[in-house]
Amino acid sequence: MTDTTLSAPARTERVTNFRFSATETLKHVCLILGAVIVLLPFYVMLSYSFKSPSEIMTNTGGFFGAQELFRDDYCIKLGNEVADCMVKPWIYNYTTAFSKAPLLRYLMNGVIVTASIFFIQVLVALPCAYALAKLRWRGRETVFSLVLFCLLIPVHAIALPLYIMLAKLGLTNTYAALIVPWTISVFGIFLMRQFFMTVPDDLIDAARMDGMSEFGIIWQVMLPTAIPALLAFAIFSVVAHWNDYFWPRIVITGTRELFTPPLGLREFKGDADGDNFGPMMATATVIVTPLIVAFMLAQRRFIEGITLTGMK
Amino acid sequence: MAGRSVHIWFVAPAITLMCLILLLPILVAAVLSFTDYSLGNTSAEWVGFENYEKVFTRTTYEKMFTATFTYVFVVVPASVGLGLAAALAINSLTRFGDIYKTIYFLPVMAALLAMAIVWEFALHPTVGIVNKTLVKGCGSWLEVWGWYAYQCANGFPLWLTDKNYAIWVVAFIGIWQGFGFNMVLYLAGLTGVPRELYQAAEMDGARSAWERFRLVTWPMLGPTTVFVVTISCIRSFQVFDTVEAFYPQGGGPGKSVFVMMFAIYEKAIQQNLMGIGAAITVIFMSFVMGLTMLQRWLVERRVHYS
Repeated sequence: MTDTTLSAPARTERVTNFRFSATETLKHVCLILGAVIVLLPFYVMLSYSFKSPSEIMTNTGGFFGAQELFRDDYCIKLGNEVADCMVKPWIYNYTTAFSKAPLLRYLMNGVIVTASIFFIQVLVALPCAYALAKLRWRGRETVFSLVLFCLLIPVHAIALPLYIMLAKLGLTNTYAALIVPWTISVFGIFLMRQFFMTVPDDLIDAARMDGMSEFGIIWQVMLPTAIPALLAFAIFSVVAHWNDYFWPRIVITGTRELFTPPLGLREFKGDADGDNFGPMMATATVIVTPLIVAFMLAQRRFIEGITLTGMK
Repeated sequence: MAGRSVHIWFVAPAITLMCLILLLPILVAAVLSFTDYSLGNTSAEWVGFENYEKVFTRTTYEKMFTATFTYVFVVVPASVGLGLAAALAINSLTRFGDIYKTIYFLPVMAALLAMAIVWEFALHPTVGIVNKTLVKGCGSWLEVWGWYAYQCANGFPLWLTDKNYAIWVVAFIGIWQGFGFNMVLYLAGLTGVPRELYQAAEMDGARSAWERFRLVTWPMLGPTTVFVVTISCIRSFQVFDTVEAFYPQGGGPGKSVFVMMFAIYEKAIQQNLMGIGAAITVIFMSFVMGLTMLQRWLVERRVHYS
């Protein structure tokens, strides 16, 4: 099972050995089988976003579909000539995704919300982490144990009281409702504090000698040194909030202008009939793609980010 | 040190937000769980333990606990086990390991709600790709398997709308989504196992790969396992997206997928029964916080060298 365990010479020796390649092949077979299952929904999503309704229903046409022109009934209903209403399935699916619902608006909301959350989180967490790591003051240990305690609380678990509080303040159905509960990231404070502990005091002392204020030190000295940790935290935060469905579902009701991408897709599904599966899959593809592409481009960083933030 | 009290400006915003957003809601939930509050009412009656009594005696909530614990007890061992198996296999490959790592991590990155909708479509009883593929296998050697032969003769399951399959299918999607995350954590844990230990074990007579795993890898992965199990538990307790996507009303066939997060959503947000919702919230929170505390305690006791 753990052939990694072999030292280098032992490994080269084993490569020529038939038994070794047999186990290696077996592992590949299992892993490929797993990969097929893991990729299945991605395949379905992408493939159906290209296909025409009839191809989806009959499950024909391979991955891309035949891309034969088909009649867009909605277009005919609008009083256009049949000849003008013949469309290629994939173009139909993607244009419908963007035109039937304000998908661009949803995507923009997603960007606004995730970006604001991340910036406010950093704005709040960084000074606090600095004070906890590098300044000496009475009550520091108490505040740090408060941070450790708050790490126990998953925000989704307290969604209901938060919702009630926001409703009392009249803040449901606003951007604030989407952003405010996430502005405090105890985890961010903890992560940054651990990181700042490793920054040498000399660096800070030198900055103080130069007459820099404590505020200046945070943003001009500590922030640049914390970029790797900050990047990891950014990935963690953005992935969590771009994909979040539970919280937006609770605080946003009805107002389409405030829908985040998952909410938009959910609404699409709500009124999907046979003809709309293609566009629905196109919407899903559009929503899932940004993070997947970013992940493919910076795989190592993403995995590091997610594991770093995992390993408390 | 410039300005003795400058730290106040640094920690005050964080402390204020922590109290308002994290601590106050716990208090609010705890208080409301003893009332019959609903949004829009000016006042609420104090009902004592009535809400908790309902949660612990009514069959609806019995189903809720059954669904939640079934889900957790299926998803956690399976996703941790698969994550570990995948990590060990990938780690031991001479090549192509990274490709698998990338593929297995994809579901972690993808919005679960979007993928739930795709799964629902793939599992559609008549036009879904899963049943269409299964039907193709009928009449072949696969019919040796009793279940398969039976389904070929009687039609393949409805999956999500079948009471006997629903919770298992939802759990399967949970595993599908989560095991890549555990794999990555285990891969990180494996890099921390010193090579010399394996050589030492081999010299001491640990000949088989299984022996080396049992004597070296597994104990050394102890801290990783504690963490992976805890985080998997917390994540699976919080399952919501898939359930809401599949069953916007009622929690599945016969309430078999009525998990806690969905129960809170349905009772409190949809039906405006805040008291019950708050009581479930409090119970839910004590599970999750208890788990995390258990994890911390285990880490402090250094289970990994036991």
